[in-house]
Amino acid sequence: MNGRSLRLALLGESQVDEAALAILVEGILGKPFNQVQPGLRARGWPSVIQILPAIARHLHFNTDADALVMLVDADDTEPHGSHHERPGYFHPRCRLCQLRAVFRRATRHLPLKHGRERMLRAVGLAVPSAEAWYLCGNDDTVGEASWVEGRVTGRAPYTRRELKARVYGTERPNLAQAVAGATLAAKRHARDPRRLEHDFPGFAALATDLRSWELKPAETDSSRSAA
Amino acid sequence: MIASVAFRNFKALRSARIELSPFNLVIGPNGSGKTSLIQAVLRLRTLARLPISDTFAVTNLEAAQIAFRFNPPHDGFEATLTCRDEESCDLLQLTPLAASEELIDWAVLRTRLLTARSYLLDSRAIIRPVQTGGSRELASDGSNLTACLAGLCEISPDAYAGLCAELLQLFPEYADLVLYADRGTFSLRLAGGGAPVMVPADEVSQGTLYVMALLALAHDPAPPAIICLEELDRGIHPRLLRGVRDVLYRLTHPADYGHTRSPVQVIATTHSPQLLDLFRDHPEEIVIADKHGRAATFARLSDRTDLTELLAEGGTLGDLWYSGILGGVPEAT
Repeated sequence: MNGRSLRLALLGESQVDEAALAILVEGILGKPFNQVQPGLRARGWPSVIQILPAIARHLHFNTDADALVMLVDADDTEPHGSHHERPGYFHPRCRLCQLRAVFRRATRHLPLKHGRERMLRAVGLAVPSAEAWYLCGNDDTVGEASWVEGRVTGRAPYTRRELKARVYGTERPNLAQAVAGATLAAKRHARDPRRLEHDFPGFAALATDLRSWELKPAETDSSRSAA
Repeated sequence: MIASVAFRNFKALRSARIELSPFNLVIGPNGSGKTSLIQAVLRLRTLARLPISDTFAVTNLEAAQIAFRFNPPHDGFEATLTCRDEESCDLLQLTPLAASEELIDWAVLRTRLLTARSYLLDSRAIIRPVQTGGSRELASDGSNLTACLAGLCEISPDAYAGLCAELLQLFPEYADLVLYADRGTFSLRLAGGGAPVMVPADEVSQGTLYVMALLALAHDPAPPAIICLEELDRGIHPRLLRGVRDVLYRLTHPADYGHTRSPVQVIATTHSPQLLDLFRDHPEEIVIADKHGRAATFARLSDRTDLTELLAEGGTLGDLWYSGILGGVPEAT
């Protein structure tokens, strides 16, 4: 990438999530990026995973995107645990594991195009929905640990509707309210993402993916100098 | 407003009952009673104009009958429409639900019921120039939309400005909404963004015109108490449906958006799985109309006890509906 801005495509389930994701990605990367194909969107799960191979192929051949960044809600499915990161591990009910696998299969055999062998990817999993991320740091009852405990005991600590009401002041936020609430929270986390990474492994996985790009040889000016 | 409606022998609704929420999205196959529900509300409005009948109920048990109950503070009685045949419902009776209840609040409820409106918007009607000075209440086909907008601009400039801002947010390709008055008629145009081009109404897309009509209702300082909307999604891009839902939620839950006016009850029909997807967190707002032979019934999606488990298996609400497992699809042939 030779010091130039990264060219990233963002894929989420809503305009609200995408607005927050752009801020969070820039915060983690520590520098601005250029968005490729703005307006890319899936229609909720399982639309994301169904359309992902086509999106990956399109971005690879028809754009110069360096990477695809995805954010999905876990809803009531398996959160992404640290043991999911073991080499070769795949949890069939974890949406993050599923997206990584589908992306890998979709891009594995694509030929060299636009000067890159294949696109990078980063995936975040919001448990149970992105509103939990937005509350992180302001509401101590919200976190993946409490959600996981609730799954074990059969008593969810909150619902998606309750999270919406806590973030936006209504269970039925309009688009403007939702974007305003999400971007405000995303800016707070972008300044210091440590609490969000600690409390939400589904976000930590995204951050780890994004930071790993910096470590790839020939991807940064510093690594080229070292070489 | 209306808490429930019970049907007997009314068209395909031979024996059906539905509890209504502030917002109701009715899905189901053609001929499953979606429009009949709206017609029932309109007949209640029509008969509410007339004096209450003191004749005791018709003894013909085959006669069509529609019974309405209401939310507090109007929950003390039931309003029953009785029909001579499927087309002629001409008897409205009020029955106290408790011995001590009086019908004194009928007058208040009646005033609100008389404002109920149903819309099946027609883009060809909307684009026709309309005479100035007409009714400021949106016609059922939207044909006087331009006059309504002009009226709103005159009586409530702030509301009109809010409408324009929301319209341009939903359709950023436009820069302004312009109302032309010419020789006693109004017509509307949209100014194109980035270029000094005026787009006349007959070149504006159907979906844009329908959204403008919905915005006119949502920004009306005194909207109807009940709004029925047929084919809510018609002509509107799936990505704009979120904005349409937002507009209607502002009508049904005004306090959530800082408005002090009374809530509006909305009954809308759709055939769009994409619109249905937007109600995953609010299944209580979805009514599934089903048809078995010639008989139709209603059910609340939230009454499906396994809905959470079905959604957890993957699939959007729209996918689940289309698959047939939620009901509300045409019968297999």
